[in-house]
Amino acid sequence: MRVRLENVHKSFGPVEVVKGLSLDVEDGEFLVLLGASGSGKTTALRMLAGLESVTSGRVLIGERDVTDVLPKYRDIAMVFQSYALYPHKTVFANIAYPLTVRKQPRAEIDVTVRDVARQVQLDQLLDRYPRQLSGGQRQRVALARAIVRRPAAFLMDEPLSNLDAKLRGYMRAELKHMQSQLGTTTIYVTHDQVEAMTLAHRVALLEKGVLQQLDTPANIYNAPANLFVAGFIGAPPMNMLEGDLSDGRFSTAVGSFGTASRASAKEAVAGIRPEDCRVTAPGEGRIAGEVYATELMGDHVLVTCRCGDATVAVKADKAFVQGIGTPVGVGFDEGAVHLFGGENGDRIR
Amino acid sequence: MTPAPDTRTLMRRLFEPKRLDAMAPVPKIATYAVLALWTLVVLFPLYWVVVTSFKIEVQVDSGPYYLPFVDFRPTLDAWTFMLLHNNTLGPYVNSIVVALTSTVLAVLIGSLAAYALVRIRFKVKLAAVLTFIVLTFAVIGAVVHFAVPWPIAVAVAIALFLLALATFVRSFKAAVGNNDIEFWMISNRIMPPIVAVLPIYVMFQQLRLLDTQFALISTYTAVNLPIVVWLTRDFFAGIPIDLEESAEIDGASKFRVFFTIALPLVRSGLAATFLLVLILSWNEYLLALFLSNANAQTMPVLVSAQNTTRGPQWWYMSVLIVVMIAPVIVIATFLQKHIARGLLVGAVKG
Repeated sequence: MRVRLENVHKSFGPVEVVKGLSLDVEDGEFLVLLGASGSGKTTALRMLAGLESVTSGRVLIGERDVTDVLPKYRDIAMVFQSYALYPHKTVFANIAYPLTVRKQPRAEIDVTVRDVARQVQLDQLLDRYPRQLSGGQRQRVALARAIVRRPAAFLMDEPLSNLDAKLRGYMRAELKHMQSQLGTTTIYVTHDQVEAMTLAHRVALLEKGVLQQLDTPANIYNAPANLFVAGFIGAPPMNMLEGDLSDGRFSTAVGSFGTASRASAKEAVAGIRPEDCRVTAPGEGRIAGEVYATELMGDHVLVTCRCGDATVAVKADKAFVQGIGTPVGVGFDEGAVHLFGGENGDRIR
Repeated sequence: MTPAPDTRTLMRRLFEPKRLDAMAPVPKIATYAVLALWTLVVLFPLYWVVVTSFKIEVQVDSGPYYLPFVDFRPTLDAWTFMLLHNNTLGPYVNSIVVALTSTVLAVLIGSLAAYALVRIRFKVKLAAVLTFIVLTFAVIGAVVHFAVPWPIAVAVAIALFLLALATFVRSFKAAVGNNDIEFWMISNRIMPPIVAVLPIYVMFQQLRLLDTQFALISTYTAVNLPIVVWLTRDFFAGIPIDLEESAEIDGASKFRVFFTIALPLVRSGLAATFLLVLILSWNEYLLALFLSNANAQTMPVLVSAQNTTRGPQWWYMSVLIVVMIAPVIVIATFLQKHIARGLLVGAVKG
């Protein structure tokens, strides 16, 4: 079902944590709320769930205004970071809880729970208690409890962050598959950009309670709306060079280069992603510098170059060998340069 | 491989353990000696009571005799008299009914109150509280001094209170919060009970409820409520809020969350609280002495009644004490495993 936030504000005393957030999540969409801690993403999710009241604005699920509706009448399911499994109930009773609370007939509950448990491969563990399960199994119980009721929307608050790295990758794929199978609208909160990029149909990037950009992962990566988005997405982060832009030509202390733009701006920032850069012989390339450090990452070598006051990271071939202090040049294509300017660091087109 | 020879000095051998998980000889002996001594201190009075219950008057007066069959010939005289010829069963049943009922009520109401104090933020305007107190005294004054019929006085007071709530109380900022309410509850136990005994006595006298189980049950429940709130508050505060929020989203009402999630999670703590309050009610003497007579008399009063004009009847008293402490020991043993159990393992992460 469609889920909307309309110009929602939230204050805790004098502190405003969400400032005029509007989101329109379409039916069946997987939307990720991405942001650092304190960005207001969890508060936004809790307002959708009804665990937190809104200071002003409206919350809509389907066509229904649920701004002042109790959580239990919102027809949503939530997966918590801690899983929030009921420790005194078996896996079966945990999954069945949303149905038992709603007084469904026992035979029906039994069939539904066993069916859902099979979907998440828990059918052998229904008699166990949460404390007897591994992290990944607990995670699956939490998911099963969410899907058992067929709610209008799933809300997930960093559901994978308590798993170890390997399991997290596996569960990510499981989650994506499950969501597309069920076709249930999902709003997913995370601080992990990899989760956001891989899972989402669209990503909403929040910072200090303000929506920075709402777009597909590809667009967020390829055309960041402002300096914050550009710096937040991508690992290692985008290289930033300060300088002046005049009729599309960008000049810094360590060199000047043309860009795809024709714009002019004083005190602009040029951003180039490490994978769009290459190390060249000194004097060649667009800007000059020297090797500051090299790190072998397995499939590539991350070369950090010192270019004047700026540090430029370059993803180089895994065979790259250069001593520290060697003078080099850094090359990139005109089209790979992202330009930002103005007070807010908005993208210059 | 043979173990390396012990090359330590004598002092280190005596005071330092050989292995990390062992105890050194001297501390070990000292520890067990203290424990043995303390065990004696705890167990000897129990032994003495049991032994005395099998004695007759002469054996007590010409004593002390320590070992049955060796020092003296044990008899069942005191037991037969107390259990067959004396009305012991009445007070015993009274004690059971009063202690159990008041404990169940106190734990139920007290845990509900404690949960509310932990999970709901109260903000009662101080002005409203003060108005209430002033009006209460006004009602008492009007009824006692000016002989106003009490239904009229109360009705007028309620009307005035509602009027105050709707008008000037709103403009005051100062409010009573959760901490103040908690302190007020505990402060009920600061006052020594003897202070309240006479007013309580007069109250039940006026209600014509003296010497009834109801009087004892309601008084004990009220007296034990603060203890239950005080103890269970921390148990509820220890439950991860995620569990309760999750249950709310799953469709449970606040009461359902309390009874199906919160209460089962604190049941170990609740068992401990139950036991403590049960023992307090079971042993309560002062209030029972004032509020009960022939009909509602409880065991502690019966025990002290054996201190007659002919001097303390130790043999009868001992019988009563033995039958009085027996059920407490049984219940404590039964509840022990609940108290020792850590239930929250695996609730969150892990």
